[in-house]
Amino acid sequence: MLAVQTIADGLVLGGLYALAAVGFSLIFGVLGVVNLSHGAIVMMGAYLTWFVWHTTGLDPLLAIPPVMLVLFAFGYVYQRGLIQLAVDRSSLLASMLVTFGVALMLRNLLVLVFSPDFKSITPGYAFNYLRLGEVTIDLVRISALAASLALLGALAWVLNRTRIGRVIRATAQQELAARLCGVNARHVYGMTFGVSAAFAGASGAILGIVLPFAPPDEANWTLNAFVVVVLGGVGSPSGALLGGLVLGLISTATSQLIGPAFPNAMMFLILVLMLMVRPAGLLGNAFAASR
Amino acid sequence: MRAPILQLTNVTKRFRGLVATDRVSLTVAAGSITSLIGPNGAGKSTIFNLVTGYLPLSEGEIRFHDERIDGKSTVALARRGIARAFQIAKPFPDISVHDNVRIGALFGRDGRRDVDQVTERALALTGLEDFADRPAGDLTVGFLRRLEIARAIAARPILLLADEPCAGLNPAETEEICDILRRIRARGTTVFLVEHDMEAVMRISDNIIVLDAGAKIAEGTPGEISANPAVIAAYLGTPDAA
Amino acid sequence: MLAEALARHRWWIALTLLGIAAAAVVPFVLMPFHVRVGQMILLSTGLGLAWTLLGGFAGYWSFGHTAFIGLGAFAAGLFEVNALGTEFMRTDPLLGFALGLLAGMAACAVAAALVAWPILRLRGIYFAVAMLGVAQVLSELTNSIEAFQGSLGLVLPRIPAFGLRTEAVFYYLLLIAAVIILAIAFLVKNARIGQGLAAMREDEDTARMLGVPTERYKITMFVLSAALTGALGVIYAHSLGYITTGSVYRTDFSLNMIVYNLLGGIGTLVGPLIGAAIMVLLTQVVLGSFLNLHMFLTGAMLVALVVAAPKGIMGGLAGTWQSWRRRRTAAP
Repeated sequence: MLAVQTIADGLVLGGLYALAAVGFSLIFGVLGVVNLSHGAIVMMGAYLTWFVWHTTGLDPLLAIPPVMLVLFAFGYVYQRGLIQLAVDRSSLLASMLVTFGVALMLRNLLVLVFSPDFKSITPGYAFNYLRLGEVTIDLVRISALAASLALLGALAWVLNRTRIGRVIRATAQQELAARLCGVNARHVYGMTFGVSAAFAGASGAILGIVLPFAPPDEANWTLNAFVVVVLGGVGSPSGALLGGLVLGLISTATSQLIGPAFPNAMMFLILVLMLMVRPAGLLGNAFAASR
Repeated sequence: MRAPILQLTNVTKRFRGLVATDRVSLTVAAGSITSLIGPNGAGKSTIFNLVTGYLPLSEGEIRFHDERIDGKSTVALARRGIARAFQIAKPFPDISVHDNVRIGALFGRDGRRDVDQVTERALALTGLEDFADRPAGDLTVGFLRRLEIARAIAARPILLLADEPCAGLNPAETEEICDILRRIRARGTTVFLVEHDMEAVMRISDNIIVLDAGAKIAEGTPGEISANPAVIAAYLGTPDAA
Repeated sequence: MLAEALARHRWWIALTLLGIAAAAVVPFVLMPFHVRVGQMILLSTGLGLAWTLLGGFAGYWSFGHTAFIGLGAFAAGLFEVNALGTEFMRTDPLLGFALGLLAGMAACAVAAALVAWPILRLRGIYFAVAMLGVAQVLSELTNSIEAFQGSLGLVLPRIPAFGLRTEAVFYYLLLIAAVIILAIAFLVKNARIGQGLAAMREDEDTARMLGVPTERYKITMFVLSAALTGALGVIYAHSLGYITTGSVYRTDFSLNMIVYNLLGGIGTLVGPLIGAAIMVLLTQVVLGSFLNLHMFLTGAMLVALVVAAPKGIMGGLAGTWQSWRRRRTAAP
């Protein structure tokens, strides 16, 4: 039964990893930028949600839409105002440095505003749970998984069925061709960043109800997102889901079987192995092409 | 015929299903300029990549002098005296022309001795002395090609593989490159050449090998090759080609 | 080759020796606070130079070099406390410190050699992120494995003062370390390996084609850079006296090593000194009262730098000099 419990926990965590990584993956796929401030944006989402919940008592899941809206605006301005400038003036590696710098700034600001201590969000149903045979899952985790999957589904729908989604995918594949078709590539890049930040924020809200969090966690969430992308491939919600679930299971199994200190070490091992053996991801899609 | 310096025996290279070279056997005689010609996709570049250790071969063997060299690393081959000048010149753009050539000398065969003299000689032989202090990124295509050759011969190679050194050059520049290649041969370095410019090939080659669709279809002196019906067929695409 | 390089750079060398002499009298003339600022500049210069051995010379930008500061610090500390013991450290503190230093450097060299083979096959952003991962994982393991005492903290044995004030002792130790690293960097840059690295940084595949043993070179530089960074970590840890995971595995260290180089000019020897001096003076002296905004300012500095002067001060100067020279040689 322990195995089933581990798998259930792993799936919940995996859904969260997937949602937290999907925006990172999108930016990497469309802009070719490794956004090292992604984890900091996830943390911003968590803190915004905590703030709303703490001051108004609004259910954290209901706080997701406004948080996404705010972070969408943040992401759009961040890309148009800073990232694009860095890409234009020097190289992609330099743009990655800029995001590294921004991550540190955001972390510092979060510490100043919210203190360096751990926070957690505990909605009213935090202590209810569901029992299926011998496996127990609390309601919070079920709603977290459901919300993660619903949001990933929504993003997939946006990318595949709406005009802006099609434009984003077209720009990712052929910037020049898309531009020739009258697409304003810079606007699309800004939108992509906005969408990415919005989903990072949503994942922050969900992580807030599942786990305690503190500003320095941002580094872990960035690295997690990177590992998810390496596992699942770049640019698609389904890839992020696959990578996220695999990572969630590995992480839970590692802390069960080896020890709670080792999930990140294990993830890192897998990251390096994957980069060396299958740089195109488990499914072998566009990762290599974006190198 | 002079002793072979490079000898390929039944060399086959497959990429997944595609056969790029099919049991090709050929020899390059020491001290010669030997050219490898053929239509696009004939397998010329594959042969070069196999000889320089860029690609592992599927079957067959490659000998340099009397040593088997297939499976050896690019670095090991460079040390043994095989150098390659690429068609698309790859200079180190922010490093001066002189230092580009010097790096070739430093890491080539016997690279610790007389580095500076070797560098000067390579610059002189390719007519680059006047540009020695410029960053390589400043050079025009024709001079980049010369730099590519200079850097390769600074390594003091026994065998120089020149990959389409005349592509995209005007007749005057082509003539200069031909001169440089002749001078290299005169110094005792064997030249193995892939080139599309037939006039240049006919003018400077001692021996010509013709590939088509991955297989060798002819070999001989320029005179023999230009009269060979199979070669003409391969180039013109006559339906009854062998 | 070396003799020629020494002759060519004789003015720089004379200037450097003069600078070292000037730096050596600082503790006697300046106030303790300023000596501590000098200490920070020397530490930062050393770190910048150690980073540049790999990042500037070989073109492999590590985003997680603090891994070796932390590893060196903890390896030395644990070795001195557990392997040598308090008794040994009390009776022969100098030998104890020296052995601790060696242990820290060895730990970093071994760790670097172990991860070198897999992660040096990654290039560009992949290498950078992988190093970020190395730092993150090492800091977590230090924190959560009890024997390493990362969360509890580790009190380091005191080192002898030779009648000097504490800050002066560490000032001199860091000065010696920085000078040694500078000398190593000079030797590397002007040796055959330096030429090979310059080629490799511009185009690794072509360099290999020309016979540059790229694998061996980059592993050498990685191990060297790690060991020297570790040595600085050991000295820094002793200057703190008490270390936790958070005080030596610091993301802002990783970032700062890049900032110093970018600011001063990447791949140059004087660049890290210029960059470190500017950054330390700016953050410690000018903005010294905003200590809780330290990370923010570092980040902001980096962002401004990349956007405004992507090649750094020396890089910018060199660029101007080159284009001036080019114009001059091109003139009829």
